[in-house]
Amino acid sequence: MTGRTSTDIISQDILIKASPEAVYDVVSRAEHIAKWFADEVAWGESGELEPVAGARGVFLWRDDAGNMTSTVEATVVTADRPSLFSFTWVSPERQRSAGSAPVLVEFRINAEAGGTRLVVCESGLDAVDWNEQAKAAYAADHSNGWAGFLPKARAVAESFEAQGSA
Amino acid sequence: MTAVLTDEVWAAVGDPNRRRLLDLLLETGESTPTRLASQLPLTRQAVSKHLGVLERAGLVGSTPEGRQMTYRIRADDFDRAARSMAEIAARWDKRLRRIKALAEAIENDSQNRAD
Repeated sequence: MTGRTSTDIISQDILIKASPEAVYDVVSRAEHIAKWFADEVAWGESGELEPVAGARGVFLWRDDAGNMTSTVEATVVTADRPSLFSFTWVSPERQRSAGSAPVLVEFRINAEAGGTRLVVCESGLDAVDWNEQAKAAYAADHSNGWAGFLPKARAVAESFEAQGSA
Repeated sequence: MTAVLTDEVWAAVGDPNRRRLLDLLLETGESTPTRLASQLPLTRQAVSKHLGVLERAGLVGSTPEGRQMTYRIRADDFDRAARSMAEIAARWDKRLRRIKALAEAIENDSQNRAD
């Protein structure tokens, strides 16, 4: 477990019946990212770069008529095949707030019985101002982690809505 | 794409201690830094600092009560933030399912070629 685990804001995972290498290539290579994420993806100015640490890229979306609707710049932080691939970006859903700070998207890839576990985490970069001891204590206590927080937040949001409509 | 998460909200919920404070406020309805500090391994000063971050993000509001401030969740903004986060999580779920299909297709291809 990395120290960053405890600061994830979004964390989702899935079990894939493929090798860690195949999963790593799908989450990192431009030609594959263009199939599950953006409509066009290039590492480098025109796709000349491999997804290596420090490589900058552009993700681009188009609407049904082929008009460009949004672009996002990403920078590879870690490229450690087949276990970890990460990049920073300002996601389109956050881009509209002026001067948004980039967040880290991390793909953690681990072989396990029956296939490969892929965990995707999105976290703030500077959200943490606490010491190592506090981090360790928190990491040991998953009950307050993201996985527990989101369902609770959703439930509360729904109860607000129920109250509002009553 | 309906909701936008501001940096303030994103950073506010990115800290596990602040998520705990939100949890406690959700459970108890309202509370004071002193009471919250007694429920967490944090000093009252640290709790106040975190509450300040949550307040600037619009997730909690405060009213003076005697010599203390009383804090409670601001339902509307909290609701909006929770929805945005749920939306982002749902989007990643969809992407993960596509990644799974692609990786499994690649794996099958390479096995067929090896056979």
